[in-house]
Amino acid sequence: MVSITIDNKKIEVPEGTTVLRAAEMAGIHIPTLCDHPHLTPYGGCRLCLVEVEGARTLQPSCTLPVSNNMVVKTDTPKTKDARKFVLTMIFSERNHFCPYCQVSGGDCELQNAAYAEGMTHWPIQPNYVPFEVDASHPYFILENNRCILCRRCVRACGELIGNFTLGIEERGAKSYLIADLGTPLGESTCVSCGSCLQVCPTGALIDRWSAYQGKEKEVEHHKTICVGCSIGCGIDVLTRDNRLVRIEGDWDSPVNEGVICKVGRFLPMTEERMRVLTPMVRKNGALKAATWEEAMAVVEQKVKEASQQKNLAAVISTRLPVEAISLFKQIFADNLQAAPVTTFEQGETTAASLKLAGQLGTSYEGKLNAIHQADCIISFGADMLSNHQVAGFFVKRLLPKKVNLITINKSDDPFADFANCSLKPLKGSYLDVINGITAALLKLGYIIDPAKATKSSEELQKASLNTSIPTEQFLKTAHLIASSENPFVILGDSLNTNGNPDLLSALYHFCHSINAVTDSKKNLIGLKGSANNLTASLLGLDQKLTLQQNTVTYLAIGDEEVSEQRIKTLEKSSFMIVQASYHSKLTANADVVLPTENWLECKGTYINLDGTIQTAQASLVPPDEVKSNQAILEMIASALNIPINSEWKSVIIERPSPVLLNSD
Amino acid sequence: MAKPKIASDWMAGCSGCHMSLLDIDERILDIIELVDIRATPITDLKEPDAGGVDLGILEGGINNTANEEQAHRMRKRCKLLVALGDCAVFGGVPAMRNFFTLEESLRRAYVETESTDSEGKIPDDPELCVPTRVRAVHEVVPVDIFVPGCPPDADTIFYVLSELAQGRIPVLKNDKLQWH
Repeated sequence: MVSITIDNKKIEVPEGTTVLRAAEMAGIHIPTLCDHPHLTPYGGCRLCLVEVEGARTLQPSCTLPVSNNMVVKTDTPKTKDARKFVLTMIFSERNHFCPYCQVSGGDCELQNAAYAEGMTHWPIQPNYVPFEVDASHPYFILENNRCILCRRCVRACGELIGNFTLGIEERGAKSYLIADLGTPLGESTCVSCGSCLQVCPTGALIDRWSAYQGKEKEVEHHKTICVGCSIGCGIDVLTRDNRLVRIEGDWDSPVNEGVICKVGRFLPMTEERMRVLTPMVRKNGALKAATWEEAMAVVEQKVKEASQQKNLAAVISTRLPVEAISLFKQIFADNLQAAPVTTFEQGETTAASLKLAGQLGTSYEGKLNAIHQADCIISFGADMLSNHQVAGFFVKRLLPKKVNLITINKSDDPFADFANCSLKPLKGSYLDVINGITAALLKLGYIIDPAKATKSSEELQKASLNTSIPTEQFLKTAHLIASSENPFVILGDSLNTNGNPDLLSALYHFCHSINAVTDSKKNLIGLKGSANNLTASLLGLDQKLTLQQNTVTYLAIGDEEVSEQRIKTLEKSSFMIVQASYHSKLTANADVVLPTENWLECKGTYINLDGTIQTAQASLVPPDEVKSNQAILEMIASALNIPINSEWKSVIIERPSPVLLNSD
Repeated sequence: MAKPKIASDWMAGCSGCHMSLLDIDERILDIIELVDIRATPITDLKEPDAGGVDLGILEGGINNTANEEQAHRMRKRCKLLVALGDCAVFGGVPAMRNFFTLEESLRRAYVETESTDSEGKIPDDPELCVPTRVRAVHEVVPVDIFVPGCPPDADTIFYVLSELAQGRIPVLKNDKLQWH
């Protein structure tokens, strides 16, 4: 600890703390623009200049580490003059005319800083040099004329996302923000995570939906979680008059620490599907609006009939909360004996991981955020560009730290380009890849096992033949793994285990042999699938979706976009009851449609990929006739006299699980 | 003591700041108790007294030689000069044309606009004033008090006028300091 006096206030702070953070701890506000608590200090804007006793000039507090007995003054005529001068220079560089900017009036950190200094005008007028506006991106606009070159976006893109799309072209006053080497943003390597928008202090990065839709003082904040995938990122949903304005990453969420992807931030804004607003029943061949009573009467009769005739099937979305999935299982699997009772996702790999956990008698996967300490990433069958993107950001942000990346994927791995070693085995030969790497580790003497070592060359040849991967690749991979101290293994959702735990078991033992999994650490995580993929498996809803002829199907779709493949399977149904938020091919073919909440309207529990139990809060109020998924299922249970229990934890906790379940 | 004299004028603006001044509603009667409103663009007398006024108020930026003359005349004839509104303070909306050359803006305005027929012509009568870059008032003449806002709220204008009328210099802060 070092001692520092700021504005006559003496405090002790850990060594290495910057003066700015020390001041924060002491409750002293120093104005800043380029500083952001989640980005490395940059020292670019000079707004945070402070007087340090004994220093010849003013010092930027954001980059200055405290030293013992340092005496700092933040609010002197000298610092005030400097701040005003810094702001004067910034305003003189670009088009900072406020009246037509969407962040003016409270949401602009630059304007707020000027107000705080009591600036009534610009002592130096702008130079009126225009910059181009880049409106090529589908989700946001880059307005360089409002940029103050703080480089928060550049740092977020590189440090948090590991994407390094944004950068600065030219020098001095001519500097401006570009994507890649000057490519229009819409055609660049941008992955549309939108983190740059979230950190921009001015109106230079504008998203296409929320601009002019509501300022900070006019919107409501709802801290909840994204149900786009099994990571369950913390998000902040901004609404105004029950209308979605914007979605931002929640900096306080331990799962994602503020970072979210396109799926969480922008896709909900582009929702164009038509809402199901009333119950509907097919009469004389046409779907007609009906009352809840009418619709439920048909549902009750049909479900009862089908259950007796043993031709009832039920499918639920893994985007729905645990409460709904649990009720669904009690009603359709436990009581009505429907078959299959499953999810649209099927979740074969997760099903296999549960079996393995059962065999091992313990959970064997760890926490996703252990990845931040890894020095080698081994990714098996994952596509972290399309799915589980935040896990991909975690991987990519490690790469500049000289962390090795090994991708193993039967398909083209989108991360292969950044990988130190990228293996593309033949279909169905993942097991041979594991054998190959193990043989290479033995051959190179990284694993000592005299009994097996003699056979290692032979095994290596065999693996190479079965996978079509050259032996040198195996040896290189083995070397990279063996030279790391803290390898981390990611299992993608395309491992194709067919519900069989053999491959996972081999992978688990492999993780042991390379010290990714030991008694004290579990550097292994399966990405699973949709939001409540693990929950569905824990409740036993992970069978294959096949239908007999003349099946009555009950589909709790929620707001999921069901794949064409599943729709094709479901078309065989003789009678279809669909519980859905939006119109789709399935509702068009349905015999009864029950309107239900979408993810932003629904409150409930989700269990993410590493077993973290989180609660989704409702951010919006659903339309009048729309009921929650749980409420509809409760209505069915009561109509059919099915006893239900809203307690789900006890059922889930008894099941073997690949991850330890815990609520944060 | 005689009431302080006030004169105002507008230049390259939308007259919205004067409208906002009228928005102080019946409070204008309180102001009249305290001051002598002489010339304004919305009353009969258009130019400040040759003998001088105590307070001059200018709305709008300066975008041609006529505005320059107005600004110099006001500055010469007043003791304290107030720049009222974003255009007078910063240049405002009219200043957006500074991102183009004067020729480009004139061509756009008189020749290329969709509503102009093929005979579009940039006016060049020697009687007309000459357009210039758009400037904030303080780029042409010294300004004593800046009242930003697009337009400044009626409350802000009332505050500024009543302070000045009572011989105090207004300090804009908190909700009265708005650039909009």
